[in-house]
Amino acid sequence: MNLNVWEQWKKGYYTWEAATAQLIEQWIRSPLVLGPSGAMLSAMMKVKAKRNEKLAETWGNLGLPTKRDQERSLHLLNQLHSRISDLEERIESLQK
Amino acid sequence: MVKRVLNLFKRVGKKPAVGLTPADVVYRENKWRLLRYRPSNPMHPRLDSPILLVPSLINRHYVLDLMPGKSLVEYLLALGYEVLIIDWGTPTAEDRFLTFDDVCDKALGRAVRKAASYGKSGKVHLLGYCLGGTLTTIYTAVRPQYVASMVALAAPIDFHDDGVLAVWMQNPKFNVDAIVNGYGNVPWQLMQSAFQMMRPTLNLSKAIGVLDKAWDDPFLDGFFALETWGNDNVSFPGECFRRYIKELYQQNQLVKGEFRLSGRPARLADIQCPVLAVTFQHDNIVPHVSAGALVPRVGSADKQQWDLPGGHVGAVVSRKASEGLWPALAEWWRQRDEVARAQ
Repeated sequence: MNLNVWEQWKKGYYTWEAATAQLIEQWIRSPLVLGPSGAMLSAMMKVKAKRNEKLAETWGNLGLPTKRDQERSLHLLNQLHSRISDLEERIESLQK
Repeated sequence: MVKRVLNLFKRVGKKPAVGLTPADVVYRENKWRLLRYRPSNPMHPRLDSPILLVPSLINRHYVLDLMPGKSLVEYLLALGYEVLIIDWGTPTAEDRFLTFDDVCDKALGRAVRKAASYGKSGKVHLLGYCLGGTLTTIYTAVRPQYVASMVALAAPIDFHDDGVLAVWMQNPKFNVDAIVNGYGNVPWQLMQSAFQMMRPTLNLSKAIGVLDKAWDDPFLDGFFALETWGNDNVSFPGECFRRYIKELYQQNQLVKGEFRLSGRPARLADIQCPVLAVTFQHDNIVPHVSAGALVPRVGSADKQQWDLPGGHVGAVVSRKASEGLWPALAEWWRQRDEVARAQ
């Protein structure tokens, strides 16, 4: 490809890109876009949370631990680890 | 042009080697680790306080050690400085319960104390990058005893800036509770697509830029390393995200002096150690107005702001940074260390 053609094309592209980016930025800042897209995302998330809740309920009714139960247990173990490390640090500082 | 395309094709499928500077894991808790880089110049005089690098929670730590020749870590080690870094790791489902206090006070606090034990002064020079800078600022305001100095590198402080992210987060229809309740940890894919939406044409521009310089192997090495990092993101712990968005992005509590860490007030005016804020004029992720809000508000007598040209990432890892920003940072630390030693 002739390099001059490439350079010319690039110039044109970058002009188009700068103008497009400016336009998109105006658009994505607009309440007309932000309002409906925010509401849609929230609605999708609420449906997902509700679905998770129902699944956990069904699982729990079978007497089985839910995903949330497992997450809480693992988190508690991590918290315990952190507290043991706190105590170790205190003992070290007392020994100094 | 054909040569350029062939040169690009040679690299398809090859994973760039990133974060190569040798380091030892000196502490590990839950997913995060504290890495201590092995000294490359033990003969050189060291600082009395080690440097602790705190990256953002949502990006991998190796941006500050991208690849040989493009590594702030490597540069500092060559000067004989002791360097440690936090690798936040990858949160898993149970980390949805991790709170802002768990991250900023417990984890960062432990990392600071461990890192401080590697120096003579019992303190560290903290450098926080992006959200890491917000964490170090809040931590230093509340627990200054182990902090010799603080550098906030493109760190958001005033969240009511004119940036796109601030506009989105303050959108009344943006419901952070729904996102955290639905997802648990906020997935990196959601955050990455939000960043891409800020300039959807960026990937096409990158492709053209890379084709234009495809004859330049060192450029391609750097480009692919940075792209590897840019696409290697981590999810945000849910409860931590909830508070970050509500109290910082939406209520702007940090600049108002209302933010609390583990129940203690985090007032910027309480920061007394030497402070340096580095802001970038073309940063569209953390506008320089937001990052520049730190210096006028801290109580330190020794405080500076460097407002540099460049963007959020490029200005930190570019060749230009290795000739300008990095030596300036190293000198800034050396001077603060000397002053502290003399006192």
